[in-house]
Amino acid sequence: MYLEEVKNILGDVLSLGDAKNSLKENSALLGSIPELDSMAVVNVIAALEEHFGIVVEDDEISASTFETLGSLAAFVAGKLAE
Amino acid sequence: MNPLPGPLPAEPFFLKTGLGERFCLFYPPAAGKCRGSLLYVHPFGDEMNKARRMVAHQARQFAALGFGVLQMDLLGCGDSSGEFGDASWEQWKEDLALGNKWLQERLGKPVNLWGLRLGALLALDYARSSTYKIDGIILWQPVLNGTSYLTQLLRLRVANDMLGDGKEKNGGTQAMREALKAGDTLEIAGYDIAPALALAIDSLDATSLLMTTCPIHWFEVVSAADRPMTPAGLRVVSAWEKQGVDLHTHIVPCLPFWATQEISECPELLSATSSIAADLSSISRMASHEL
Repeated sequence: MYLEEVKNILGDVLSLGDAKNSLKENSALLGSIPELDSMAVVNVIAALEEHFGIVVEDDEISASTFETLGSLAAFVAGKLAE
Repeated sequence: MNPLPGPLPAEPFFLKTGLGERFCLFYPPAAGKCRGSLLYVHPFGDEMNKARRMVAHQARQFAALGFGVLQMDLLGCGDSSGEFGDASWEQWKEDLALGNKWLQERLGKPVNLWGLRLGALLALDYARSSTYKIDGIILWQPVLNGTSYLTQLLRLRVANDMLGDGKEKNGGTQAMREALKAGDTLEIAGYDIAPALALAIDSLDATSLLMTTCPIHWFEVVSAADRPMTPAGLRVVSAWEKQGVDLHTHIVPCLPFWATQEISECPELLSATSSIAADLSSISRMASHEL
């Protein structure tokens, strides 16, 4: 799974500092992390693309992708499996 | 650290081209020890501005080590002629050829390229077609995939739509790509992007920009010391090495200075880059002997 890598990217892009370490697979992201606004979502997607070498289409992104750390990592896993 | 000799002042000037003038800043090599030269290839948009301080620091260090550095604002960028909407990938490569010629005439030494982000891809692409011999290439955090790079730019326009429950997705990046293909210029984050430039960027892929006739030093900035090269980077590294690219990768932990909200510096990258510059000319001499 890509939980650790996705967590690191979230921590870097959102400047979460030590708060990053408390993120677990079922931790809520969108709506729970105040730093995660719409521009931040765009930056997180860009960082995921550059890190993993994936291309994300607009219509693949929805609020549910960013629901939890686990859902975001699962999304990355799905893209890498394409 | 050893004290470096006092730097000569940078020389600003305008280089005339068939299409207006390009603003240039030349850092002459420290007196009495010219070892080579570097042509800097800047990144795109705001990244160009955010990186200025780091680039100036690095250019001064190169100059102190005996390298003349030419920093050139490409057509439509910085203080050069033209609007961003006039820029094209091919014209940028022609600009680089002019800069290369200028350096060659001024110093009579082999030219190395040094590119940051999208400028790294431009440097690679230019090197492949250059009529001048390129002695070596330094890549700082190269953009690897033009398609995702363009999508990221386009996405700046649709940030708010994207999380909107999937119903109103009008003007998504796909629609904007279609508009570019139809010949429309789009304004993104304050820059007018001409369709030809956007489509040229869209088709870039580092994997296929093979440059096998000179050493390539790739510096990748990571956020913590224990982080390896990204999976995306590793794929390009492996493809290049399979094709015989003389590649040297350097992983440097520090801030992504080209993107940070406030202007930031990365002293670790400066020292890592300067330490390979000391070898630049000798490495390429070895490489050319082997040929």
